[in-house]
Amino acid sequence: MADQNKTDTEGQFYNEILSPSELFAARSRSHKIPVRGQKDFFPNDSDEQRQRLEQTLNEHWSLISEERVERLANLVKATWVPSDQIVELQSPAGKFWQTMGFSANGKQYLLPEEALYLMECGNLLVFYKGLPLSIQDGYERFLSSNTISLQQYQVFGHLKRLGYVVHRFDSSLEPSSYMRQLNLPQSRDKTVRQLKRKRSASPTSTSTSTSTSTSTPLSSHTETQKESTTERMEEDKCSREYEEDKKSESHFTASSETPEFQTAATSSADEAAGRHWWMSDALTDPGHTSDHSPTSGSSRWDFRSIIFPDLGSREHHPGRLASPDPSLLPGALTVGVCDVATWSQRINLRKVKMSSKEERREEDKHRRRWDVNKDKEVRQCRNWTEYQELMSRRQGKQKGRPEHLWNREVTPLHDPRQPISTGELLDKISVIKSTNLLEGASSIKGSDEWRICFNVYQPDTVADFKKSNPGKPYSRMCVCSFHSPVPDLRALKLLAFQSGDIPVVFAVVDHGDISFYTFKDFQLPTDVYP
Amino acid sequence: MKLDQKRKASVRTVRSLSLADPVLVLVLVLVMDESHDEDLFPTVGVSLCDSAPLLWRVQDLKTVRSRGLVGALLGSLPRTPRQNGRLGRPLLLLPEEERLLSEHHAAAAALPAADQVRGAELCRWVEKFEEEQRRSYEEQSILALQDRKSALFRAMTSTGETVLHGRLRALDQSFTFPQLALAIQVSTARAGLTYCPEARAFLQADWPFREQDEACRDIRYQVFRDLRGRGFYLTSAGKFGGDFLVYPGDPLRFHAHFIAVCLSLNESVCLLDILAVARLGSSVKKTVLLCSPGTDGAVAYTSLQWSGMV
Repeated sequence: MADQNKTDTEGQFYNEILSPSELFAARSRSHKIPVRGQKDFFPNDSDEQRQRLEQTLNEHWSLISEERVERLANLVKATWVPSDQIVELQSPAGKFWQTMGFSANGKQYLLPEEALYLMECGNLLVFYKGLPLSIQDGYERFLSSNTISLQQYQVFGHLKRLGYVVHRFDSSLEPSSYMRQLNLPQSRDKTVRQLKRKRSASPTSTSTSTSTSTSTPLSSHTETQKESTTERMEEDKCSREYEEDKKSESHFTASSETPEFQTAATSSADEAAGRHWWMSDALTDPGHTSDHSPTSGSSRWDFRSIIFPDLGSREHHPGRLASPDPSLLPGALTVGVCDVATWSQRINLRKVKMSSKEERREEDKHRRRWDVNKDKEVRQCRNWTEYQELMSRRQGKQKGRPEHLWNREVTPLHDPRQPISTGELLDKISVIKSTNLLEGASSIKGSDEWRICFNVYQPDTVADFKKSNPGKPYSRMCVCSFHSPVPDLRALKLLAFQSGDIPVVFAVVDHGDISFYTFKDFQLPTDVYP
Repeated sequence: MKLDQKRKASVRTVRSLSLADPVLVLVLVLVMDESHDEDLFPTVGVSLCDSAPLLWRVQDLKTVRSRGLVGALLGSLPRTPRQNGRLGRPLLLLPEEERLLSEHHAAAAALPAADQVRGAELCRWVEKFEEEQRRSYEEQSILALQDRKSALFRAMTSTGETVLHGRLRALDQSFTFPQLALAIQVSTARAGLTYCPEARAFLQADWPFREQDEACRDIRYQVFRDLRGRGFYLTSAGKFGGDFLVYPGDPLRFHAHFIAVCLSLNESVCLLDILAVARLGSSVKKTVLLCSPGTDGAVAYTSLQWSGMV
């Protein structure tokens, strides 16, 4: 038995190369997959079982040993370029070109995983040094740390076989959170540039980048009306710098805009006009006349370092006011030292004296922080008398309120006199607020451990799929193995932030099996009728 | 592979679990002597792809299967590539399967791609390849002509028309087999291809014993070897939350009976983990086996079962 086995293998060793007659015969072979019958529960050494096992194994081996035989007309020819880790097409691409590959320098290229998948499908024959590569060669040459790993290819192949369109994910191509906020459309030029960038060096890339830079700021200017800052952008700045610039500016306004400034900006129109020269144009170049609203230039100013004179305070009152920093003034204007003594005499600087009753009321008001103006009933009062009548009416109602609870520093969370819905009340008294995946995610630094590998588009979009404008992916894939840990909250937040509103799916590869899981925000239901 | 029926059931250890309500009944089984049937099988050629051990040649796949190793198929099936139900070569080996093969000196490094070939040698290979293509074309065109002729003959014998004689003559004179209709093999394995014709010699070398780091790997391997020695077939059981799925016979014909979870003997286990895996096992109608290799090389198996007691 053993000897026979050995001689068999000796003879069959080269048999995986088909002879011309076998190749010819293969044209008319079946494409059906034998159906697997019901499995048995336990082996019982019966002949029937043995026979069935033998039959199943035979079917299995005939299926496994089958070689790919394709007509020359159906095979696209390509060559492997190891220096670029890429496959270059030599003959016109097939139907797969709609969803795979890219062109650069007038040539058509496939990424290694795409080429390998097409080889496995019998659509592509890849040559290297004039000889055709086998599937095994493809696996060993195309899959490496420079391209994608075997596990990533397993996931890629699994999804491709299911009909999905799968592209590599490139985080630098994703719109920044700021762009997303403004709902900026993604420019088409960027996708073109992505494809260019995958090639190591492409001479045409410079020309495309200039075209992008001129078009992007202008188009975005028309899209978003608030972008007065765009004017200060030099025309030849590239769009990427532009984004970064925008991002840092937005940060700046968010963090350093002090409350004083906010009130100044929202104060009445003529007041703003009066301060115009203070606020907006000082930092723009001379000669650049601007008639924008005060907010336009404000972001460049740090109001913590610019001191506004307080003429009302007694304490530090020099009598004379030093001239303002000339850098804050428009070019032609000079302002000397100002004597404020005569002005300050006219100001009523006496301290307000309050009775003890008034003081208590003031304190009470301060403690409760209850804005009278928000009260509907109060607003309905037409004069002082009506208001006082209302207050006394309320005083009567409030008898039930235990006064001693409200006299101390610590007061109840809610004043029962203020009507509020149950849902709002629950929200008000909740100790731990619920959060979502994206909260605080923008501040997390990137990590190498977890990264998104693929953009996945649904099979039903294939018919009108455009590589240049693929649209929003259906999901994004992150490939990991069973032996690696489950992603922690930090990693989840990071990936969710990178992906934006598209769900991130984790593909877990266990040997040959691939399982998918995803994390979703979950809102605990509140059992309250609104 | 026949199952050893003479299983000596002897109680090795009992894991003590103090449990209040759902009572876990501990069923304890089997320790027995191993028997190996070595050297019946030829050496298989293993090649690495991104550090994963892959088998490519059908003969090697058959060999490991007859040793009771299942592995996992990764590639698209040539017959119908765009589906995931049945996959084709290559076959990925489990780390334990790889180690078992190398322990039995049954594996060897498959031929590496001959990259250093260049110049005249490469030219000769390319010439040889093109020559074979030409030969294939000639043979296939002869076959195609015969094919057409026999079809015509069949038509003639059934209808008996003489018009067809003319057609037959015309065919003989003017038949050309279109170049694009040439059938080409996109071969799966490299062996035997133009790149490495003198393949067999390489296979005498032994497959290196690759470093398999952590201690848990070792535990897994001992359990794997023991269960395989008893005639069981094993595959990975990630989707069932365990280390191995244990089949009583070839997985093509039989359902898995056990989910093996590998633990070291002195490892303390969280009760919640045990409950989780036991619950999962019972819901897929499989028995969970806690497997711990002892110091003497034997493995202790503990099975978990939900009891009917309330």
